[in-house]
Amino acid sequence: MHQVMSNKKTIFLLVVPGFLFFLFMVCVPIVMSVYYGMTDWKGIGDYNMVGLENYINILIHDKVFWRSLWNAILLVIATVVLQHPIAILFAILLTHMGKWEKLYRVLFFIPAVISIVVTSKLWSAIYHPNFGLLNKVLESIGLTSLKQEWLGNPDIAIWSLIVTIMWQGFGYALLLYYAGLQGIPEDLYEAAKLDGANYTQLYTKIIIPLLAPMMRVAIILAVITCLKQMETVFLMTNGGPGESTQFLGNYVYKAAFSSSLYGYGNAISVLFVIFCLILTVIMNKLLKKDVGEF
Amino acid sequence: MDTTMRRGSKIILFVVMSAIALIQIFPLIWLINFSFLKSGDFFGSSFLKWPEAFQWKNYADAFSNGRVPTYFMNSLFVTLTTVIVSAVLALMMSYAFTRMNWKLKGPTMNFIMLGMIIPIHATLLPNFIMFNKLNMLDHLGTLIIPYIAFSIPISMFIMTGFLETIPRVIEESAIIDGAGVFTILFRIILPMTKPAIATVSVLNFITWWNEFIMANTFLVSEDLKTLPFSIMKFTGQYSSNYGAQFAVMTCIAIPSILFYLLFTEQLTKGITAGAVKG
Repeated sequence: MHQVMSNKKTIFLLVVPGFLFFLFMVCVPIVMSVYYGMTDWKGIGDYNMVGLENYINILIHDKVFWRSLWNAILLVIATVVLQHPIAILFAILLTHMGKWEKLYRVLFFIPAVISIVVTSKLWSAIYHPNFGLLNKVLESIGLTSLKQEWLGNPDIAIWSLIVTIMWQGFGYALLLYYAGLQGIPEDLYEAAKLDGANYTQLYTKIIIPLLAPMMRVAIILAVITCLKQMETVFLMTNGGPGESTQFLGNYVYKAAFSSSLYGYGNAISVLFVIFCLILTVIMNKLLKKDVGEF
Repeated sequence: MDTTMRRGSKIILFVVMSAIALIQIFPLIWLINFSFLKSGDFFGSSFLKWPEAFQWKNYADAFSNGRVPTYFMNSLFVTLTTVIVSAVLALMMSYAFTRMNWKLKGPTMNFIMLGMIIPIHATLLPNFIMFNKLNMLDHLGTLIIPYIAFSIPISMFIMTGFLETIPRVIEESAIIDGAGVFTILFRIILPMTKPAIATVSVLNFITWWNEFIMANTFLVSEDLKTLPFSIMKFTGQYSSNYGAQFAVMTCIAIPSILFYLLFTEQLTKGITAGAVKG
């Protein structure tokens, strides 16, 4: 048994093909980015090594970089403070729906399976100042004064984007918590009821604490997704008006392909990856402490 | 548990649930509704409109100007190849990581799991440069290779979780009978891991069927583009043709929804299985 399961040649054959894909498409590019990030390459022609100049410029002078980070943090906060508590509440309610459970679960999740290109263009239309659904709804409920260009106003555009992103991601968050609830053994509910616990006690004392490990996974996944946000921005506002809705992914793309600053764009990529890693480690540590070991 | 709820609270429950469900679904109903309207009919205060005459022309425009059939086949080819290859590779790797004994498996596994954190967009520029140097830009393979690579971490995350729940007794007796690892993997383990393979496949299918930014960066030829580009065709020169744009969007959304409806149980079960481990 041990001999068969330790056969080096077999292990090599099993692991290496997949690992090569991963190595060449995920790891090598990042090493390349670190290199190009230290150059002033414009995408064509010769280039010079400029050392850490790009990195220093970005961290010290680049307001758009910090604005992009701040926008990601706004999205993270909105997701963790608004989307997830609502998702937990509705995941719990969903388990009380009896035979309707499946139908509602499907309805909630459908936006999550639709192409981002479709949802971005759809929400651009919803926010359209002239025929958009949102302005029509506001008008019909007597809030005409609130009608506006949802994507044209630099103070509001970022929230319009956040709403779209949260709308699309809601079903996924809900499904994670619903899955977490399914993993809680049925007899726990019964035992709590035999002990005379009411619904509030059942949920605050038993179910929510048991859901904590799932919350950790879901929140970390959500934070990663928020940071990686790009397509919706790219398609709905392309970072504008001004740079008010810029996100890092989109900013990298813009620096490299619109402004031909390949070196600079790669340096942003590298900082982007470093930031994702740091934030994930911090989240992991923070949340682990909060919920205890399971 | 629902039997113990009072009638009043049950009604409130349904109202609240339906309100959120409506928020999730209504934009799509609006989309389909407007895909049957003339662009001029969009204006006015009502938010749903019965079309005076169903504008099937929007769909005809979508198919011809949006090149839906060509792009659909490209998407299907790219997505299916990615899904199949990454499922096989991830299964092989997951087996080596959960069942076999080797020194570096812990660190290697952690290294691959880091891939879940790496944003696709951070690899976009260097991959573009690499493909450009290798003269590989503008092939469907240029999409498939990174798609497979980025599928591996999440697929392994789910599959290793599932494999750990399979008892080792069956393999032990197979080894005593003289079976090799590959026989065990493809004859015994593969059939038993069908649920995990299905989950991983559904997740990957949804992700790559809808992927846009790499396709936008790596592909140039009109003939090679994937389905999301049908919409882009109507946002440039045809920007005023909203009816056709909405028809294209409906055409792209419907297959995803149908696919999801087909595999909804699988997805829920798979996420549950993954969650238990997480």
